[in-house]
Amino acid sequence: MDIRGRNNVSVTGLADGPVVVLAHGFGCDQNMWRLVVPALAKQYRVVLFDYVGSGGSDLSAWSQERYSSLQGYAQDVVEVCDELQLEEAVFVGHSVSAIVGVLAARMAPTRIGALVMVAPSPRYIDDAGYRGGFSAQDIEELLDSLESNYLGWSSTMAPVIMGNPERPELGQELTNSFCATDPDIAQVFARTTFLSDSREDLKSVAVPTLVLECSQDVIAPREVGAYVHAAIPSSRLVTLEATGHCPQLSAPEATSEAILDFLASWR
Amino acid sequence: MCRTGDGPEPTEIADAAGTNAAFIALLEDSAEELYESAPCGYLSTLMDGTIAKINATLLNWLGLRREAVVGKARFADLLTVGGKLYHETHFAPLLRIQGELRGIALELKSADGRRLPVLVSSVVKYGGEDEPLLIRTTVFDAADRRAYEQELLRRRQEAERARAEAEQARGEADRARRQAEVERERLADALAVLQQSLVPSSLPVVPGLEAAVHYHTASPDRLGGDFYDLFPLGGGRWAFFLGDVCGKGPRAAALTSLTRYTLRAAALHSPEPAAVLTTLNTVLYEKHAAGGDPRFCTVIFGTIEPGTDHDRTTVRLASGGHPPSLVLRADGHADYLTTPGGLLVGVLPTAPFSTAETTLGAGDTLLLYTDGLTEARTGATRESLFGDDALRAFAADHAPSSASGVITALTGLLESFGDGLDDDTALLALGVPATHPTAHPATNQPR
Amino acid sequence: MSPLNITHYDAATGPVLHVDGELDYEHAPALREQVERLVLNPGQNLVIDLAALAFCDSTGITVLLAAHQRAQAAGARMTLAAVPANTLRILRVVGLDQVFTILPDSSA
Repeated sequence: MDIRGRNNVSVTGLADGPVVVLAHGFGCDQNMWRLVVPALAKQYRVVLFDYVGSGGSDLSAWSQERYSSLQGYAQDVVEVCDELQLEEAVFVGHSVSAIVGVLAARMAPTRIGALVMVAPSPRYIDDAGYRGGFSAQDIEELLDSLESNYLGWSSTMAPVIMGNPERPELGQELTNSFCATDPDIAQVFARTTFLSDSREDLKSVAVPTLVLECSQDVIAPREVGAYVHAAIPSSRLVTLEATGHCPQLSAPEATSEAILDFLASWR
Repeated sequence: MCRTGDGPEPTEIADAAGTNAAFIALLEDSAEELYESAPCGYLSTLMDGTIAKINATLLNWLGLRREAVVGKARFADLLTVGGKLYHETHFAPLLRIQGELRGIALELKSADGRRLPVLVSSVVKYGGEDEPLLIRTTVFDAADRRAYEQELLRRRQEAERARAEAEQARGEADRARRQAEVERERLADALAVLQQSLVPSSLPVVPGLEAAVHYHTASPDRLGGDFYDLFPLGGGRWAFFLGDVCGKGPRAAALTSLTRYTLRAAALHSPEPAAVLTTLNTVLYEKHAAGGDPRFCTVIFGTIEPGTDHDRTTVRLASGGHPPSLVLRADGHADYLTTPGGLLVGVLPTAPFSTAETTLGAGDTLLLYTDGLTEARTGATRESLFGDDALRAFAADHAPSSASGVITALTGLLESFGDGLDDDTALLALGVPATHPTAHPATNQPR
Repeated sequence: MSPLNITHYDAATGPVLHVDGELDYEHAPALREQVERLVLNPGQNLVIDLAALAFCDSTGITVLLAAHQRAQAAGARMTLAAVPANTLRILRVVGLDQVFTILPDSSA
């Protein structure tokens, strides 16, 4: 089994530097990190990958059974770490990927030495005494809109990346696969993400952890950031002045700065 | 009406002026007008989504006032919750990376709570240093398109479902058909095997005797209820029997099997005919009637001993409720060999069986038959039964006859009954050859 | 008219079953069922009236035997009445004339 091919693994940055693994969340793929990779690559070896079913991963390796639970995604992470023989790597997970990192660290403790959780949430649906931000009805609406967009998408089905020579950071290697996932797979990933409840799993975190939250994030409101921070005694909380759920795109400098600070203090 | 002058008519002048006026009015349309009253919604936001500019069309659709929106709300606030999630996880990131996004289906929420299906296209405007400045968005009313899409989706799902059901039904039908075929074959095999166990596959060669048989089952897939056998007892003595079990089908076949093997076993143990039938009676009674399920057979069992002096062949037999056997004599007579008082076998705990005895000389033939023969319907209207008297008369007409001769004659007679013959029929003939003492090969006509 | 019709009425001495039609492999079981459902008390006489019997084969005979057994088990008797000539002949061949109580068809 060719893990590198299966998960579209790419490795860049400082050849003998400490390893930082960047893991995308629900919605797109490793291209999410494009704007922070240059800053990280100066001092670290940066590993990027796509979960099976997303981006440029091998879709034939996808199975509903495996990827209907976060364990399946954690398994991807462990397999990538094993393949690259990583030791004490830093795992940076965005959104639900932060939780996947928690599970992977538990499954393979020697592989992951620290966690960076970018806009994490252990549970999106409100519960008694817990504000996740959404109702079950809201999640159903999301799934509906996913479906209608795949049907109604016109000839611009796979958004074409504009190659712009004045914006070198985009590069030529971006492919049509960015954000154009198989609709059935997207549904499963969406259900797995938004119906999950990983609050108990936070208790198992035994490594230094950075919780990066955004000041105005609909998907992971401030209460969630506070909850995660409180559930992980060894964690540090940094709130970025950013709107939206993807600070690595909307505020890339602040994001990479926060990550680099944390890594420096940890080493 | 002809034109007389060379100038335009008054109405034409008015038309031209009207068209001109419209044209002029269009030219005077300011960019502002075009923007505000466009047939689609326009929206400009900062990179964090804060609405900077919005046209009247969109405001009207949303039922919102400009003051409430500009600088105060974000684009995402105009969406349904599912739309917000989609915006955060797909729309916004893609726009950041690509700078452009077209034809995304979303739903806006109007002030009065209605949902408006729309198609959204957005473009990022960059500044001099390539930094993203703002987002320009166009919003198209997609209500009809959405309805159409949903209809397509629904139809596709229905078609999928129907196809899956049809597949399944076909699969099940195939399975059922294959199953039925396998069952049919298995049944046919079982029947064939079973049938073979009910009658001997061929008659043995008996020194000093000629034996012939005819066996016919009324319908091909029903197992016959008639049975017969001919086997050695040792010491030059042979046993024979012929009979008819009650009922039809597999249950009758089971009874036939039991009967045949019980008779054989009893005969080999102690061949006295009445004793053999008594044994059979006990076995059948205890197995069936004793339990409230009476089942019986009628049978003639006998022993035959061709003498060293080939003129004398001794026959001793007993009958359990069976039609009496016939003897065709060399002198042209035919007589029944009766055993009065015999009762069908298996219905009472003890049953009476009496023995009859005769000797066969050269040219004499003993004939056993089942009631398929005598009960055959004959006559023009198939009303009357063939009957005992007619059989005796027929036999007398054909006497003297070898075993094979009488069987052949009777087979012909049976065929002449045509569809009057609706029962199983078995015929067994044992004859002492008229001339030579050498054994004739048994003539075997099982059907 | 179906091939077999059975009418039941109760006489002073016991139940009477009037059989009209064919007692063969297919239809005789219906008679057997009726006999099994009958209420039979000790000392009674079950009469099976065969005046309208058109046909009787070995299955029919089995059913008559079963009826006979049933009567005996109940401490009652069984009589076959108005037995047609052909059926009587068969009963004689198989020796059941020594077992059953038979009243032949007076018109025979």
